[in-house]
Amino acid sequence: MKGKSTLASLVVLLALVALLPFSVIHADGHCEFADEAIKIGGLVPLSAPGSVAGGVAMSWAFNRAVDDINADCGVQIGDQNHRLQIVIGDSEGSPERGQAVVERFILEDEVHAVSGVYHSAVGLATMGILDANGIPTVFSEPWNDNVSANGIMEYDGRPPRNADGVDHIFRISPASSMVGGVVVDWLLAEGVDNVVIIAENTDYGQPAAADEKARFEAAGATVTQINVELGTEDFVPILSRIQASATVPDVVRILVTGETSYNLTQQMAELGIAPTVDTICVTNQFAFQSEQYWENVPDGNYCTFNRVGIIPSLFSDIAVGLNEDYFEEFEDIIPSFAMASYDALHILADGMERAGTISDGAAIAAAIETTDLELSQGRYYFNYGNHNDSMPADDGMPNYLWHQWPDPVVTMMQYFEQGQSSLDAAVIFPEVYQTHGTGYMAPGEMP
Amino acid sequence: MAGSDASQLTRTHGSEDMVIEDSLSVWWLLLAGPLWAAIGLYALPRSQGKIKRDERIDVSRLQIAGLIGGFALGPLGIGLFFLLPDLIRRATLILGILIAVFISSQVLVRVSDPNVPSVIWLVLAGPLWAALGSYFIPRHYHDVDADDINALTAAALGGFTIGPLIFGLMWKHTPKISRDWMIALGSLGAWQIYTLFAIQNPSNPCVQTPFQVTYLAQQTANGVVIGCIYSLMAVGLTLIYSVQGIVSFAHGQLYMVGGYFSFYFLIHAGNILSELTGTEITVNPIWGIPVAGFIVFLMGAAFERSFLKPMHDGLIERASEYAILITFGFGFVIEYTTLAIAGPFPQRANRFIEIRRFTFPRTQITEDFSFGPLNIIGDRAFAMVVGIVLIFALLYFLQRTWTGRGLRATSQDKQAAAVTGINPTNMNTLAFALGSMLAAMSGAALIPIFAWVPWVGAEMVGRSYVIVVLGGLGSVPGALFGGIIVGIVEALGAGCHPDPSRGAAYKEAFALLIFALVLLLKPTGLFGREPN
Amino acid sequence: MIVGLFTRFERAIDDGIGRRKLGYAVLGLVIVFFLWFPNDTSQSNYAKTVFISGFFYAIMSSSWALLAGIAGQFSFGHMAFMGIGAYVAGLIARDGLMFASLGIAITPDSISSVGAIVIGTVAAGLVGLVIGWLLLRLRAAYLALFTIAFSELFRIAMLTEYDYTGGSNGLSLRPLLQVADVDTARQIEYYLMFGLLIACLLVMYRVVHSPIGIFLRAMREDEDAASALGVNVVRYKILVFVFTSMIVGLAGAIFYSDVGSERIIPEQLEVLQMSLIIAYAVIGGMESLIGAAAGAFISRYLLEAMREVVITLPFGLTMADGSDAFVWETGAWRFALFGLVMVFTLRYMRNGLLYPIINWFSGRDLIMKETVAKRKPDGDDLALAEDRDE
Repeated sequence: MKGKSTLASLVVLLALVALLPFSVIHADGHCEFADEAIKIGGLVPLSAPGSVAGGVAMSWAFNRAVDDINADCGVQIGDQNHRLQIVIGDSEGSPERGQAVVERFILEDEVHAVSGVYHSAVGLATMGILDANGIPTVFSEPWNDNVSANGIMEYDGRPPRNADGVDHIFRISPASSMVGGVVVDWLLAEGVDNVVIIAENTDYGQPAAADEKARFEAAGATVTQINVELGTEDFVPILSRIQASATVPDVVRILVTGETSYNLTQQMAELGIAPTVDTICVTNQFAFQSEQYWENVPDGNYCTFNRVGIIPSLFSDIAVGLNEDYFEEFEDIIPSFAMASYDALHILADGMERAGTISDGAAIAAAIETTDLELSQGRYYFNYGNHNDSMPADDGMPNYLWHQWPDPVVTMMQYFEQGQSSLDAAVIFPEVYQTHGTGYMAPGEMP
Repeated sequence: MAGSDASQLTRTHGSEDMVIEDSLSVWWLLLAGPLWAAIGLYALPRSQGKIKRDERIDVSRLQIAGLIGGFALGPLGIGLFFLLPDLIRRATLILGILIAVFISSQVLVRVSDPNVPSVIWLVLAGPLWAALGSYFIPRHYHDVDADDINALTAAALGGFTIGPLIFGLMWKHTPKISRDWMIALGSLGAWQIYTLFAIQNPSNPCVQTPFQVTYLAQQTANGVVIGCIYSLMAVGLTLIYSVQGIVSFAHGQLYMVGGYFSFYFLIHAGNILSELTGTEITVNPIWGIPVAGFIVFLMGAAFERSFLKPMHDGLIERASEYAILITFGFGFVIEYTTLAIAGPFPQRANRFIEIRRFTFPRTQITEDFSFGPLNIIGDRAFAMVVGIVLIFALLYFLQRTWTGRGLRATSQDKQAAAVTGINPTNMNTLAFALGSMLAAMSGAALIPIFAWVPWVGAEMVGRSYVIVVLGGLGSVPGALFGGIIVGIVEALGAGCHPDPSRGAAYKEAFALLIFALVLLLKPTGLFGREPN
Repeated sequence: MIVGLFTRFERAIDDGIGRRKLGYAVLGLVIVFFLWFPNDTSQSNYAKTVFISGFFYAIMSSSWALLAGIAGQFSFGHMAFMGIGAYVAGLIARDGLMFASLGIAITPDSISSVGAIVIGTVAAGLVGLVIGWLLLRLRAAYLALFTIAFSELFRIAMLTEYDYTGGSNGLSLRPLLQVADVDTARQIEYYLMFGLLIACLLVMYRVVHSPIGIFLRAMREDEDAASALGVNVVRYKILVFVFTSMIVGLAGAIFYSDVGSERIIPEQLEVLQMSLIIAYAVIGGMESLIGAAAGAFISRYLLEAMREVVITLPFGLTMADGSDAFVWETGAWRFALFGLVMVFTLRYMRNGLLYPIINWFSGRDLIMKETVAKRKPDGDDLALAEDRDE
């Protein structure tokens, strides 16, 4: 008897707790919202085998963007304000799952737009469905060149996405060739001619390595490419091999992600391969999260890394606020894909406002093509789309510039103090962005 | 690169004028063999009643004969076997070999580059002779009633290394295959692979004079250092197996969670001490090892008592299947609980010692030969010492203390042990808890060395399986040597493979290759007991 | 009259055969429901997609149940064999196969998608044959150990041989169907996958209830005894291993030929995916094909439902205390909870959570009761299971 009543009270209590969040739904508003909310599908990896860490950061950014937009009275269409609502879907990093989630977005949740996508394979697999259903989409993290290039190229035997005149897919993350270009330009300017590239065997590492290798070789440098399996812990045998080669490499470029990247960089530093006076250590955007980086790569001082997105010292107010909140939540510097995800929702909302519709995908896509917005990562615009008569090829530009934000700022940064926050790290390339008035510093040098 | 080679290849062999455009005939060619094989498989055993002879032929033999005869000779083969059943035994064998040779020659033609055919021959001839040797020689041993315990291994090894010569040698010296033979043949095989690497890629640091001695020493040292750490984990696995007779599929997750326990202990202990003393104190990760070991010891004991004990009490049917599944499920729960609590972000503890690496400097030995420098990462060397100390502590425990002897007695004979007053139930619990503890301790020893994420156990545990099978399931010294061997093979494989990319990506695959070879040639492993 | 019906019903279920008939009727109703489902216009294509992959996983887990539950072979390589089927089918259809000097050339044009699927299935069977021959003469643990390592190797190889397999971008198989209209296509895909599930279940049911099935169970219970009675243990073990490998190879090749998914990626072959298949089979019941198939459906539904708890929390809103209501960790807990369900099922309901239902419909408990009642005077024949420890 006694047990029963305890149980009953517990149930009531739980029910009350569950209702708590709902009780505040309409309390915060100073805005009048129309009945129909705008639903945006956020396709992110939230469970393995996907990159959970990436998905978590992206969904945090989505929620943050939704909060900000709704606090600003949502999306204004005509004289009505529409509340923005995000529907998170877990792609699990798998194309099959991604396709199913996108179908659910379209058919069950009836979303008006889609954003997100971390893994390129998911992007490649879902683009077709999204475009065929006329869902305006802004991808915020896949890097594979074809994600945007397939708008005007035949792919896997299928016609280009814009064959019918409308293409609904946009991308604001860089194409991997864009990143490679900056890294290689910088290294060639540093005068390297013996390069070792260590790349993971995934859709991120392989195309990027192939692209950088081609660029280096075109400039006459010798390149040794080594592919590694993601998840490997012990790299010492492979690194000993590099160490034993007759000529000391001028640079070791690491195209590996996540904890594998940290393991590799740390072991490389421990063995004394790079960074040294002779050899430049170039790791990747994962070094930007400085808390994680220093915890996992304590010997990684003087490593350089490529960074996508606006440089910390030029952070706009939006970016600073975003970074502060992110730090509070995850105790680390905000990664670029979280900022891009935040911006992507704003781009979609802005497109809808300018198109004056929330359901006409083609009109929204057309509006997004003429985007001109200053957001956390900089000014967004698209050079090549249906609004522009010339195709990239006409101007001698690569195909991936189609519906691609051409300006993701790609910079080279370098730590020069142990445990330094990436906000204080030096931007060393391109020259216009240099923060400490210096280019590459060999170990021991200071700005 | 490889793609362009392949297209060139088909051109040189003139495939264009031999391509059969008519898809129907292609299908015919492809289907005819299997079709007749199916008919043979069906028809020949059913002709049993019509065969006029004194003794009946085993149905399975007829099935195989029908299959192979039909595949190779079509209706002719089936008819032949039907009319002349006495031929079946020998003819099946000959046809089978012919088919194998034919197929492998076709593979050869397809894969061999016209410029270096000898290399491919070298690669393929070895396995071919090894297969032939391992088929015929044990049979010969069996026929002459000789002790054939090592015959299979020696024949395969010999076929691989010295080709057909092995037949003559082993036929002549039938019963005298000693360990020395095997070592000699094994070294020869290793030398051949080494030569092959040299031919394939002369700029390979493994074969490039004058650096190769230092390089090989460096890679061997890398292998030994990491191998000792692998051993520690594998010893736990093998200890559980030797007493309980089960393989713990939660071992990788216990290793992972051991690392996390150590990590969180270090952080909290550091914070508490800093608060008490008022100065910043970081705790050396060495203290995390016993703490993680202790917690996981309790976890293992609790799991054993609640889920494995009923199995030993006979309350559960088909115990061996249950054991695989329940430990697997246990690991699954641990992994995803940790992911939910610790999150997916990589973490790492502070270093053990403030020495980044030990370097043995370069020494000039003769005028044109120098040795060194040799590098060993400081923390790794420390973890290796921890591993060795713990393994020897375990050996001491097993050999010298009463409880340890009780464990060994239980592993040898449960009933007999029970008679002498050892409680097998407690020994089972102790074994599982100790084994889990060793996994956790190796996790705690490695968290200062590797970035730690909740799925870190998967790669490590796969390697432990290879080690325990190589060393012999249930053998502690086997696990120790197995770990070092696997470490060295991985290091040399990644370091000496002609293509550095594949060498790096297939690092785990080298261990797996050992796995397959051990299962094929000597399932008992190096130090193991006889399997079923 | 209603009362009369009710009494008749009651009498019918008191009797094992009556219950079994009822069971068949329920099964028939379930099949009719699945057949009718795509015609329900209120359901979207998404629901069909969910069902299509449900059918696929039902094939995977029921064939694993045949292998592990009925034949007693613990393979962690089921997903790898599925991958072999899909990858071989995809590569053959893309690159063809050349035996130049032999005059055999399967050009990509000369092979249809059905032909590619057949070759993929055969390839899965052949690899199964080799592995089975290598391992099935050893103890169960060896098979488990080796297949875990083998599937890892296969996954790494598919990732590493980027030029051929597309690496982690995955490999597109040649589409099996060429239907332009999405709705019609989905309808056909649905029936195709459902048909495949039914066909696989029927074939496996035949195997389980043939003499081979009896041998298999005899071997599982006591291998030595079975072998002493003249059962060629190893041969039957290899046979069933090859058989299930071919089933999953076929299912994989078909599912990834744009029926359920447009491309296969190596991540699909990770240990987690295999763990899920095992968990489905354990939860549904390892000794019942239908139980395992239903287990896949129900578990997948539950896993999705556990995720929904997180997602439907009020997004874009703030809690009373101003913090975000969205707590992502809850999504990660679902696997931990799922694992707990699996462990407790194993310990306390060895035959799966669906066993009571299946058992009730089979009427087996009634028959057993009767048997026990008859035997009682002779003492307890159905004594507790003895210690079968090796």
